[in-house]
Amino acid sequence: MPVDTKRVRGPDESQSPLLFVLPSTGKPECPQEGREDGRQRSQADVRPVFARCGLISQAKGSAYIEAGNTKLICSVYGPRETDRKDEVDMKSGRLVCDFRFAPFSCPKRGSWIQGSEEKALSLGLLESLLPAACLHKYPRSQIEVNVVALEHDGSVLAHAVTCASLALADAGIEMYDLVLGCALRQDGPSFLIDPTFAEESGAQSAGSGENQGRVTVALLPSLHQVSGLQSDGEMAEDTLVGAVKACIEGCQRLYPVIQQALARAVRRKAPPTAV
Amino acid sequence: MSPKTLCVPGERLCSTEECVPGPGTYLRHGYIFASLAGYVLRKNAGEEMPVVSVVKESEAQLLPDVGATVTCKVEIYKSFRPGDIVLAKVISLGDVQSNYLLTTAENELGVVVAHSEAALCIPAGEQMVPISWCEMQCPRTHAKEFRKVARVQPEYLQA
Amino acid sequence: MATVQISEAEKVYIVHGVRDDLRVDGRGCEDYRHMEIETDVVSNTDGSARVKLGYSDILVGIKAEIGRPRPMVPDEGFLEFFVDCSANATPEFEGRGGEDLGTEISNTLYKVFNNPHSVDLRALCISPKEHCWILYVDVLLLQCDGNLYDAISVAVKAALFNTRIPRVQISEDDEGTKEIELSDDPYDCMRLSVENVPCIVTLCKVGQRHIVDATLQEKACSKACLLLSVTSRGTVTCVRKIGGGSLDPESIFEMTETGKRVGKALQSPLMELLQKEESLGKKRQKVGFLG
Repeated sequence: MPVDTKRVRGPDESQSPLLFVLPSTGKPECPQEGREDGRQRSQADVRPVFARCGLISQAKGSAYIEAGNTKLICSVYGPRETDRKDEVDMKSGRLVCDFRFAPFSCPKRGSWIQGSEEKALSLGLLESLLPAACLHKYPRSQIEVNVVALEHDGSVLAHAVTCASLALADAGIEMYDLVLGCALRQDGPSFLIDPTFAEESGAQSAGSGENQGRVTVALLPSLHQVSGLQSDGEMAEDTLVGAVKACIEGCQRLYPVIQQALARAVRRKAPPTAV
Repeated sequence: MSPKTLCVPGERLCSTEECVPGPGTYLRHGYIFASLAGYVLRKNAGEEMPVVSVVKESEAQLLPDVGATVTCKVEIYKSFRPGDIVLAKVISLGDVQSNYLLTTAENELGVVVAHSEAALCIPAGEQMVPISWCEMQCPRTHAKEFRKVARVQPEYLQA
Repeated sequence: MATVQISEAEKVYIVHGVRDDLRVDGRGCEDYRHMEIETDVVSNTDGSARVKLGYSDILVGIKAEIGRPRPMVPDEGFLEFFVDCSANATPEFEGRGGEDLGTEISNTLYKVFNNPHSVDLRALCISPKEHCWILYVDVLLLQCDGNLYDAISVAVKAALFNTRIPRVQISEDDEGTKEIELSDDPYDCMRLSVENVPCIVTLCKVGQRHIVDATLQEKACSKACLLLSVTSRGTVTCVRKIGGGSLDPESIFEMTETGKRVGKALQSPLMELLQKEESLGKKRQKVGFLG
């Protein structure tokens, strides 16, 4: 593994104090009850989202998104000349996505070097954005999308997708549609939409342990196409189908907020009177 | 002009029966959709149907002001000839078919080295000297030829 | 990934064929190609398997080592996946060329096994908080001819079936220090239950239909694929949309349904085959790498 000698590193092995917290005994949430933050189970009850464009003046486009304590920032650079000259297919541009967790963003301290989870998230982000970008309009060039998670409180890929599409639109990259993301935690018969970190990683509530899983969906809202889908855990087919439908509904809830954020950015850059 | 409506990518603007798609839009199933976030513009350019386009702030400034004359005529033979050495800047990577798009639209850019035409000068191809922004002269025959002459910056003069 | 370029005319031919449920090699939309499985092919491993699907050729070796359990789950062992894209498969993989694909596949395998039922991880624990078995699952791609995921998942399942972990005893002396003792009998082994290990089914959308086990040519006609890992009970442990295209919700639901059906149907013949091969014991004719 590559080691960055310029950084002061901690001891070779250290553990988070959270490990020594006694495992919370009891408190098996009843599936019928609400959630810790007062939201409802089994409903498209997403956290209120705050989104804003154009925070990073150096970038072609940028966006910041906040849903509960999940906070992400995204910048878009390009289109610029591609690094890879050997690519055979120069007819359309290349989209490059890079997702990173800030080292302090998770309960456990992360590394500065991109880990395999971040690589998987980068790929998930790329595959969710690709269907939306009109890359044929940018031949021989590449567009870079960088997302940094400042605080990770669940549903991080879903919000990264929304944030990145907002930044792409802010950068004036031509797109077929916006991309909205929504995550879900299936917990037995009920589901938790837009889960927090605790809900996402937490143990299952009392029950047989059937139908436990996580789903993330990316949606092109006006074309009504799913551009990204990921899940893990174990679910029956009909539960999975239900979860995907719930995520689609969750995505659509975000649409007005994102539209407003984008309209606001357009208006700020060029007041209507200037046109 | 129509009121200034805002749109985001993916918004359906109108059907192809009403308008012709312009920049910042795309076609799908007979409808025109926005591919940019910006203002929707409808312009009648003399054709039967108006052109619908979406503009962001920077493009909006590119629209010519009232009264501004923008017509011009460029004659290639008065600017460059085969064999000239030209200093140019890459402005775009070009589209699928063509290669790089270059510009010489700056005082510092244009023809640096040119040789006089064979028919006028024997022996052919004497290196010419610039005499104005648009002319070069053969030092032997004193024949003048048109070129878009570059004012070569001193740092490039180092052989 | 290893890709091929095909002409527009070929594309049209393939898409039209798929529409009429007749593919270029004569298969229907939900048929797999001929598959060959052989277990116990590498003697230095604790379990190994080789799977050939069309010309895709996968070798999986599993080694069991003793390590420390993860602090968050002190009473479980764990699996580690590594996927190596050999430059033998395609020159694109030379140097670091195969690295991205390798990480992509291994990340997917982690997700496929990220549930409490696929492998009994508790059985891999030797003594909580101190010692556990770590199964290193190394996947080697020898040749790529499309549908790598499905072939890899079958190979991993076969190799896990073949895995024999030596039995260990923990003895404690008077001062309370624990010692691990390995059984002297090489046949005194622990086996893993692979009943719930899922198989991956990748469905590619070609035209308006979707196909199972796409060849490279068919893959080139497809904008988006859906990967599903299905257990013998018909539950889904991992879903992933692959590729640069999007899918409408209805086709996702259809593909999930097909995937579940095909995956379930794949499981029982596979288990039968593995058991049959094992029952042959020493009499089995080894094919090895020349087959």
